[in-house]
Amino acid sequence: MSEHGPDDHAAAAARRAERAPPLRRPAGVGEPPVVAFEQVTFGYGRIPVLREVNLRIAPGEFVALIGPNGSGKTTLMKLGLGLLRPTYGTVRLFGVPVQRFSDWARIGYVPQRAGAESAVPVNVAEVVRSGLAGRLGLVRRPSRAQRAHIEHVLDLMGLGPLRKQAVSALSGGQQQRALIARALVTDPDLLVLDEPTSGVDADARGVLRESLEHLLRIHGVAVCYITHDPAGFSGLADRVLELRAGRLVECADPSVHHHEHELPANGRGLP
Amino acid sequence: MSMLEFGFMQRALVACTAVCIVAPLVGAFVVQRRQSLIGDGMGHVAFAGVGVAFLAGFAPLWGAAGFAVLAAFALWKLQRSGMSGDLSLAMVFYGGIALGYLLMHRSGMGLNSVLVLLFGSPLNLDWDMVWPIVALAGTVCVIVLALYGPLVAAAFDESAARVSGVPTDKLALVLTIVVGLIVVGGMYALGLLLVAAMMVVPVAAASQLARSYRGTMALGAAIGGSSAIIGLTLAFYADLTPGASIVLTAIAWYLLAAAVRSVALRTTSDAHASA
Ligand SMILES: Nc1ncnc2c1ncn2[C@@H]1O[C@H](COP(=O)(O)OP(=O)(O)OP(=O)(O)O)[C@@H](O)[C@H]1O
Ligand SMILES: [Mg+2]
Ligand SMILES: [Zn+2]
Repeated sequence: MSEHGPDDHAAAAARRAERAPPLRRPAGVGEPPVVAFEQVTFGYGRIPVLREVNLRIAPGEFVALIGPNGSGKTTLMKLGLGLLRPTYGTVRLFGVPVQRFSDWARIGYVPQRAGAESAVPVNVAEVVRSGLAGRLGLVRRPSRAQRAHIEHVLDLMGLGPLRKQAVSALSGGQQQRALIARALVTDPDLLVLDEPTSGVDADARGVLRESLEHLLRIHGVAVCYITHDPAGFSGLADRVLELRAGRLVECADPSVHHHEHELPANGRGLP
Repeated sequence: MSMLEFGFMQRALVACTAVCIVAPLVGAFVVQRRQSLIGDGMGHVAFAGVGVAFLAGFAPLWGAAGFAVLAAFALWKLQRSGMSGDLSLAMVFYGGIALGYLLMHRSGMGLNSVLVLLFGSPLNLDWDMVWPIVALAGTVCVIVLALYGPLVAAAFDESAARVSGVPTDKLALVLTIVVGLIVVGGMYALGLLLVAAMMVVPVAAASQLARSYRGTMALGAAIGGSSAIIGLTLAFYADLTPGASIVLTAIAWYLLAAAVRSVALRTTSDAHASA
């Protein structure tokens, strides 16, 4: 899709190889899931939100997560990323229990309604670069490859011409794209998007969809995509999961969800 | 006769300018995290530190610095133990001012010295006092610049920063410590009640005009430093209290910047309307 050169991807492939050296695993056994929830139960205080949730997302898999407001989608992802601790059960990232996980560059996270409002002015390039802060640590500056990748994600999200703009002067959709670019800047293996298209027009949705296709096909990223808009994942999602009353229900056929709201509760009937 | 021929003015200029350049560098992160009043609170704590130093008989500057660091740890612990941010601040800060006053009264420190602490007295500094102040400001400057990237990431979006591997928890502690140190650095120059203003006001002024984080910090430091020079000059020739005139100069910068911004916004929207 985009017109970025092959160099971007050569660099990406090299990074990937360096990051995941050939593992000492018996042949035929796959890589661990990028994220795995095992019997996860959670509540805020005494109010239960999630009950014995099991979920594994395989490398390169695209999982869409739907469910009504307040069903616990955001909570589930915060548990997955170690921002909350489960009451019972365990969460693993790339096979490592989340509380011991440290390879955060492999994960990109776009929080829900993070908005980009800011008391101090900050421009698009600064926001995007801030995604590298955890990787770089103190004083270190981005390497040449990292700078090239910053350019690549700016391009991918259509932000090249806006790089010097103050984020507060951007539209909601452009801000959201800046936050997605920030999440992509470490070239993650898992991308978590929490309602990236709420309040975003059709054009920006188009940009997001194209860039997701690119990430899936070329970069092999696993995606967990939370949304209320089935059009955003139709044709892309490998699986569609729905949270209801604290439990995760797998919807057998993703295409059924194009018209989720007109269909009977079992989601399989024909109109 | 030029004010620079007076040793006391040279010393005041060095101390005040150092503090007023560095304070906005810290302030940029404090403002972004919506903790604009934390500097004020740290002033309360430093007050207690001076009281302890007086009773124990060591230098007030180091007493205040030590106490500010302790208070930063206490706040961190309280917040991690689940007490709300707001309430833990109030606890530590009111505790500080109460303890400080109690100790100072105990040690027989006069009301005059208390006023010096609260409002500063830059015209009465020896070089022996100026160098520690400059050293504190310099240390704070180095820490902030070294942590610049992670600080920006955490200030802008704490949970995304955490997920990208930034140790946001420790960073919050370091930032609080650094606020304490710059407040202590400005204690004699601007006073505990006024120094916090120099963390916030220059940043607010710079935010009106800058378009980037880096630009805001640079402009904020310039506005802070120039406020110190202009404020002291006014104080010298018009016989004003120095700390107060520095802070009022910074506020004048803010008003000017806000006016420039609104004029700029109006002309661009006119241009759009006529286009
Ligand atoms: N910080 C919190 N403290 C207490 N309760 C919370 C908190 N965050 C969420 N909840 C509650 O947990 C439940 C799940 O919230 P969550 O944000 O995970 O829902 P969601 O599925 O993401 O909803 P939405 O579609 O509106 O984003 C809700 O009932 C909500 O009220
Ligand atoms: Mg949500
Ligand atoms: Zn690419």
